[in-house]
Amino acid sequence: MIQVIHAQDLLDVLEAEPIDQQQNTIATFKGTRISIGHSVETRKKGALEISTVNRFWNTPEEESQSFAADKWNSRIGVDYAISDRFTIGTGYGTGYRSVDVFGKYRLFYQRDTGNKFPFSITLFQGGVYRGKSSLKGKLYEEDDPTTMVEISAENKFATTTQLLISRKISRNFSLQIAPTYVYRAEDKLIEDNSPHHFSLGFGGRYKVSNHLSIVSEYYYVANPVDFIDTFGAFALGANWEVSDLLLQFKLTNARNVVEDKFIIKTENNFNFRNGNLHFGFQATYFIQL
Amino acid sequence: MNKLLLLLLSVYSIGIVQAQDQYIERQGEITFFSYTSVENIEATNNQVLTLLSSASNEIAVRILMRSFVFQKSLMYEHFNESYIESDLYPEATFKGDIVDFDADLEGEQTRIIKGEFTLRNITKPIEIKATIVKTNNGYMISGMLNVLIKDYDIKVPPILSPNIAKNIQISFKFQYVPHENQK
Repeated sequence: MIQVIHAQDLLDVLEAEPIDQQQNTIATFKGTRISIGHSVETRKKGALEISTVNRFWNTPEEESQSFAADKWNSRIGVDYAISDRFTIGTGYGTGYRSVDVFGKYRLFYQRDTGNKFPFSITLFQGGVYRGKSSLKGKLYEEDDPTTMVEISAENKFATTTQLLISRKISRNFSLQIAPTYVYRAEDKLIEDNSPHHFSLGFGGRYKVSNHLSIVSEYYYVANPVDFIDTFGAFALGANWEVSDLLLQFKLTNARNVVEDKFIIKTENNFNFRNGNLHFGFQATYFIQL
Repeated sequence: MNKLLLLLLSVYSIGIVQAQDQYIERQGEITFFSYTSVENIEATNNQVLTLLSSASNEIAVRILMRSFVFQKSLMYEHFNESYIESDLYPEATFKGDIVDFDADLEGEQTRIIKGEFTLRNITKPIEIKATIVKTNNGYMISGMLNVLIKDYDIKVPPILSPNIAKNIQISFKFQYVPHENQK
């Protein structure tokens, strides 16, 4: 009898003990941005992230003596996680001298064990004020068509509201869809145009190795403006995690870096010609406060 | 008939005696340290599950990898996602024998625990020097060990190899009480 009890493996006895395995699914995406747009991820409380977002592109002119690239657009930003669920951030963009702020609230965590829930859901709300209007060259004074209309400050605002819904389908593959509403005050200044825009964003990542993933994003716009040609913003990139630094490289047609503008008003389609192909580089540094 | 009853009764009582030789700890503490000149990494797990049998001098440990807590939250994500791959290997286990363990000895005794440590489905034999103290109702076992990350196929990219020590120090402290769920 004693022999029988001894033969029973102590580890098997331990296996029978209850153990709390209920954990949220982590790292649906490596960063708080998939490539050009926000991901469902929010950082844990006290996380401070400093990021620089850059786009480089060439003008269509054949002859150019610019160093490296003809044009450049950049945003420098800071994100701070007030709680595990709530992150705020702000940034300054050089392109239109824009100041943007955003808040991101994690509504649901995906959970594959215990109390299962299939999706991660985050609400994103962003707002931006642009010192320079993007309607330059579109609006002229009625009496004197050689002068441009001065756009009043209240029309320089834009907001973006997104519901980010994602699922980590396998350990390597994650998908996100993002129903998006954009309000761009200046668009109503052009006759017959509405400042309200609707879009659906798609994003995905595939983890190639533990530290490297391939990402892609596309934004479909349901009601584009009619006074200029616009195209859905597309990005194809690689995210590389190096300890506290996340490096995101991308090829994209989106020249702008703030959500409302690149989602609604990307004026180039994605191809490899000068003027259309933008090389993007984003570096995010993580600090735990 | 009476003899049979007596036999059954005696077998049953032996069973109870055996079960009472089992001691359990549900909130064992394991801390690991990685010291390098670039950065120091430290994480603690307060939910280690472990059993001690004072009859067979055996010890068994189950460690849930997701329960390690880091000061820096991004490290938690990297540890689970990029190094330990806790979605594939959620637990580490240890099973071993305490050499020359004297269950009745009052006070402190230093003993070697010989056993096998399994991490990421890779099992290696290890020897741990441990201090065992008999307490009011159980035992307290604590000690330290070193684990080489290459033994368990933990891949560190060359660019980050200065950040993570090749040799990880692990310390543990378990306070065992009699196992109440005896069979």
